[in-house]
Amino acid sequence: MPTATLTDAARRAVSDVCEVRDAEPLDGVDGVVPTLVARPTTTEGVAAVLRAAAGHGLTVVPRGRGTKLSWGRPPTSADVLLDLSGLDRLIDHAAGDLIVAAEAGMTLAELQQHVGGAGQRLCVDETVPGASVGGTLVANTSGPRRLVAGTMRDLLIGITVVRADGVVAKAGGRVVKNVAGYDLGKLMIGSFGTLAVVTEATFRLHPVPAARRWVTAPVEDARHAQRLAQEVIHSQCVPAAVEIDWPPVAGGVLTVLVEGRAEGVDARAATVRGLLGDFATETEDPPAGWSAYPWGSPEEGAERPTSLKLTFALSGLGAVLATARELDAEVPIAVSGSAGAGVAHAAIPAEAPVEGVSAAVERLRETCSRHGGSAVVLDAPAAVKAAVDPWGPVAALALMRRVKDQFDPDHRLSPGRFVGGI
Amino acid sequence: MTSTGGAGAEPTGVAAVARRAAELLPEAGVITDHARLRTYECDGLTHYRVTPALVVIPEDAGQLAGIIAACAEHDVPYVARGSGTGLSGGALPHAEGVLVVTSRMRAIREVRREDQRAVVEPGVINLDVTRAATPHGYYYAPDPSSQQVCSIGGNLAENSGGAHCLKYGFTANHVLAADLVTPDGELVTLGGTAPDSPGYDLLGAVVGSEGTLGIATSVTVRLTRLPEEVRTVLVGFESTDQAGAATSAIIAAGVLPAAIEMMDALAIEAAEAAVHCNYPEGAGAVLVIELDGAADEVEQEYAEVERLCRDHGAFEQRLATDPADRALIWKGRKSAFAAVGRISPDYIVQDGVIPRTALPEVLHAIAELSASSGVRVANVFHAGDGNLHPLVLFDDAVEGAGEAAEQVSGAILDLCIQHGGSITGEHGVGVDKAAYMPRMYSDEDLDTMQLVRCAFDPRGISNPGKIFPTPRLCGEVPGRHKGPHPLQQAGLAEVF
Amino acid sequence: MEGRTDTPAYDGHLGETGSIVDLGLPAPGGAFDEHHPPDAALVGDCVHCGFCLPTCPTYVLWGEEMDSPRGRIYLMKEGLEGEPMNDAMVSHWDACLGCMSCVTACPSGVQYDTLIEQTRAQVERRHRRSAADRALRSLIFAIFPHPRRLRLLRGPLRGLQRTGLDRALRRTGLLERLAPQLAVMESLAPRLGKPMPLPEHIRATGERRAVVGMLTGCVQGAFFPGVNAATARVLQAEGCDIVVPAGQGCCGALSAHNGREEEAQRYARRLVDTFERADVDLLVVNAAGCGSTMKDYARLLADDPAYAERARALAEKVRDVAEVLDELGPVAERHPLEVSVAYHDACHLAHAQGVRAQPRRLLAGIPGLELREIAEPELCCGSAGIYNILNPEPARELGDRKAANIVATGAELLVTANPGCLMQVASAIDRSGHPMGMAHTVEVLDASIRGVPAESLREGTRPSA
Repeated sequence: MPTATLTDAARRAVSDVCEVRDAEPLDGVDGVVPTLVARPTTTEGVAAVLRAAAGHGLTVVPRGRGTKLSWGRPPTSADVLLDLSGLDRLIDHAAGDLIVAAEAGMTLAELQQHVGGAGQRLCVDETVPGASVGGTLVANTSGPRRLVAGTMRDLLIGITVVRADGVVAKAGGRVVKNVAGYDLGKLMIGSFGTLAVVTEATFRLHPVPAARRWVTAPVEDARHAQRLAQEVIHSQCVPAAVEIDWPPVAGGVLTVLVEGRAEGVDARAATVRGLLGDFATETEDPPAGWSAYPWGSPEEGAERPTSLKLTFALSGLGAVLATARELDAEVPIAVSGSAGAGVAHAAIPAEAPVEGVSAAVERLRETCSRHGGSAVVLDAPAAVKAAVDPWGPVAALALMRRVKDQFDPDHRLSPGRFVGGI
Repeated sequence: MTSTGGAGAEPTGVAAVARRAAELLPEAGVITDHARLRTYECDGLTHYRVTPALVVIPEDAGQLAGIIAACAEHDVPYVARGSGTGLSGGALPHAEGVLVVTSRMRAIREVRREDQRAVVEPGVINLDVTRAATPHGYYYAPDPSSQQVCSIGGNLAENSGGAHCLKYGFTANHVLAADLVTPDGELVTLGGTAPDSPGYDLLGAVVGSEGTLGIATSVTVRLTRLPEEVRTVLVGFESTDQAGAATSAIIAAGVLPAAIEMMDALAIEAAEAAVHCNYPEGAGAVLVIELDGAADEVEQEYAEVERLCRDHGAFEQRLATDPADRALIWKGRKSAFAAVGRISPDYIVQDGVIPRTALPEVLHAIAELSASSGVRVANVFHAGDGNLHPLVLFDDAVEGAGEAAEQVSGAILDLCIQHGGSITGEHGVGVDKAAYMPRMYSDEDLDTMQLVRCAFDPRGISNPGKIFPTPRLCGEVPGRHKGPHPLQQAGLAEVF
Repeated sequence: MEGRTDTPAYDGHLGETGSIVDLGLPAPGGAFDEHHPPDAALVGDCVHCGFCLPTCPTYVLWGEEMDSPRGRIYLMKEGLEGEPMNDAMVSHWDACLGCMSCVTACPSGVQYDTLIEQTRAQVERRHRRSAADRALRSLIFAIFPHPRRLRLLRGPLRGLQRTGLDRALRRTGLLERLAPQLAVMESLAPRLGKPMPLPEHIRATGERRAVVGMLTGCVQGAFFPGVNAATARVLQAEGCDIVVPAGQGCCGALSAHNGREEEAQRYARRLVDTFERADVDLLVVNAAGCGSTMKDYARLLADDPAYAERARALAEKVRDVAEVLDELGPVAERHPLEVSVAYHDACHLAHAQGVRAQPRRLLAGIPGLELREIAEPELCCGSAGIYNILNPEPARELGDRKAANIVATGAELLVTANPGCLMQVASAIDRSGHPMGMAHTVEVLDASIRGVPAESLREGTRPSA
């Protein structure tokens, strides 16, 4: 239950160990305004806050840079908003070993700038502008280049977390190959801040390729899109990305990115052009909106569109696109994402009627599920969130609850935001 | 095996599980004869041997789940085993427990080229997945050196790597879904054909959990496109220093080879004796470098690699001319562990990881350790990712030789930890390195990992005694025990 | 299930390394006695890596440790440590085909072939088999090593074949129901030709390059006399004087491979005597199983001071016919044979003797001949001496698997170098419904040298309808 006020003792416990201020409406987490905002600047500081919160049964919602606070369900309670933007340091960049360690509140952009200086990159696209490293990790966002380098799951090699009881724990380390103990890092990825608070993360890096080329071609229909995508996927051009852009009602474009050494890229881009047909074009610059989600960044105060994440087996691309097109008659749906990885995103405008959106979610979910995947409503206007099941069916939910119960027995970390009401 | 209670009483413990097994499985799938049980008493790590009380070889998930459910009901510990080739004792049985062997669950259920996926049973041999995928132009990328015999289930349990994981990742990056029999005996599906299943990445925790969180009965794996071009080159250097410097230079140049493996003189000697791979004579170290990908790209990279090797003192570079040649170059590397048996009666194989830039320093330190202790150490390793496999050689028949070898082995692990590395890159902790976990992780770190274990296995029956040095209890233990747990009383456990 | 107290309870302190290399002698009460037990040092060579498992036919079939080389070695270790010999242990050693695929696969060089022979000899002496088993083995060893008795068997078999009754017996399965092992032998009976005895001395054609002795063999001589004739012709054409001593007798391979040590030694001594008298440069063998045993005569007769050295001397002269011909190099002209051939590596030629490249080179030297490789080449066909008679079920499974792999090559002719393999694979291919021509390597060479049309090789060697 949201608590409007904290006891004095509780408030003092937190303010004794950390810089705090009263929350403002802007600090709302999907409409739920917390009571206090605590902003520690170190892992120990985070631990102190969580210890204090634990001592008084306070619920805590961690925030990185606040770019995805409305994702998932609104929290059922938010006594303390744990602002991690103060943990923004680069801890270490060992260029010779191709690893970087950073605090969770650092922005992805800043990290990229740092490692870019040595000709390296953390190969995860910044799909949400201004996102923090930690936020990217716990929401598991990814963009076009997931095809070549994977996601956070494949790049994270070490992690430091603070548990709900305030205990600091590490897993993994500074080396890519490490199977000592359980991979807690993977558990944290995509966990939406409900298992523990991530304060530091170590990643493996990749060298920035010397050259890159985008090859784009229009697709006639869903079947054509699938056929082309399959051709590229099974070819030998080793694409770094195979993206489908599928606006509502009509049209559609397949874009392939190849990266590597200049001469190699030339030849591979030519191969791709051959596969994509006569209308294929080649550029050295990314197409507009390349690594952005289809719902863009709505203005401050504007109602949010319904934002979905769709996953499917590669052979299900055509079906997903066809379903979106069918639904367009009722509700315009823009789909874009990785045809090569089977992970796409969809946007439905904020003004679309709730019943229509609800029905669209159902249909898309059914199609994705039939093709071995899922449809998750990441974000939506409040009315839509109330009407749909944002997460959809989740296998092994009982086991997930048991894991949650072990890490956060009192359910005080981001309660209610995640699957199954976790 | 003990049967409590008098005549006519229901069997308890292992006897009860044996009875259930006899109901569920064909006769040949339940092993109780002592001589036969003993053939299962160790895996690839022969230093530890424990005879299981019972061995079962289920043929399908239903049988397997039934056995585990019986274990849960009767509080009987169990250990899973695939091909029994693990190097950390992960499949070391429990003397009063059941060994569940998956070697008969070895069907490749489907290979779907269009989805780049295959679905296999846990007993399927790693290389057989590649063999099934090859006609489709695909293969299964994780390639541990034992891939011709190790099982996918075992790979999943250990998060196995192999020579090509520098570029292609480990088992965790290639397993997308698994049906798991939990320690309660329930069957759950983790992950999915499509990536990013909603909820916690339980699959990510299970891969590499060394059989302590459950047993996989079906595994969906990612298939990787067979590269257009592969170039394998064997490079001879005068010293490991030179070879290490060449490796760093290659990585620094932005080349990501599919594999860079190094072997020192002693390891080369063993491999030569075993498989006559004809490595460059007089080499202090060799690198086996493999580049793969699009043909044009590979050609460019190869030119660069060749130049860099020459710049760093390579005295011989031999490019494989055909698949048979390539196979022979790899044979030398992949047989190294077992081949060492020809130059030494006994040996310990280690699996430490260090940051690649620390390679020369650590190799020197190992050489010094070897010189001062008189214990020979052959080095075989994945130079690209800093994963060392020092082979500590000794003759057990010589008084004190075993202990000396253990000491050197432990000192090497300490070196790895000191340099910010890991005690195990791919072989797992098992029983072998459990004692070292506290040197790498704090109590809080280990406690936190154990939270996961408590969620999956509150009874503590799933491969107990592995990974974590001290068993910890998970709060209230449901079942027979009232009052302090015997282990707790014995001071061997803490309530957690 | 008995409770054992000698293995430590799992309390965090685990068992110690159990090295048995320091055991000078087998433990008393254990499975083995002191007369050539499985060698502890050889057992100790096994590092338990498991590379042998996927190449072992019984592991491939059954997926259990005890029926793998690693497991069988472990059972030997247990026996040496004091575990008594029981039916279970023996059953696993009996189930071993002796194909030595594991020897080829083993990176540590474990001499499993020696170990299993030592073990089998111990089993024969120390284990009491069932009455039925003993009767069957006695029957087999009363017939197979005696070419004259085998030839007598030919009589009724030939008669049966002319009437077509043998097929009827086989198809109705009646014979199988009556006596499973007899049925297996029956179904293996290949298409027979007229028996052709060879003269004792054959002069080389053209320049003489070597003087060789020739083993006529038992099953080979009795059932495949055409192979012996072809062998003689080819050797002659390639410039060899050939000595074919009468009354050679059996080489003892079946006995040696099945643990009948004394019997094997008797046969070996006789052969040593026979071929010593013949005074040849080389001793040519066209049956893989025989060649492999004869090359091992030094070990077989090591304990006999009167024969040890002579056996070693003879063993060094033994060559498979493919080895000899490859070594000598071709002089006789090869006429074209337009035929596609699947070459099957007999285990005792490939794994035991390491002869793989030579037959392939010889076949490749025939113009117009297309050589195709068979999938899963390291996997035994299931013949394994008399294994298919003693263990018909696994033998049948392996035979079917091999047949499927052979048929999949689409080749017109199956070529192999062992009569056992030929019989086993012939029956399996027949069962599969894809009849092919079948010939010994040397028969193909013979056809090429004599200019025999490919047609007769293709069709003439098929099972008659």
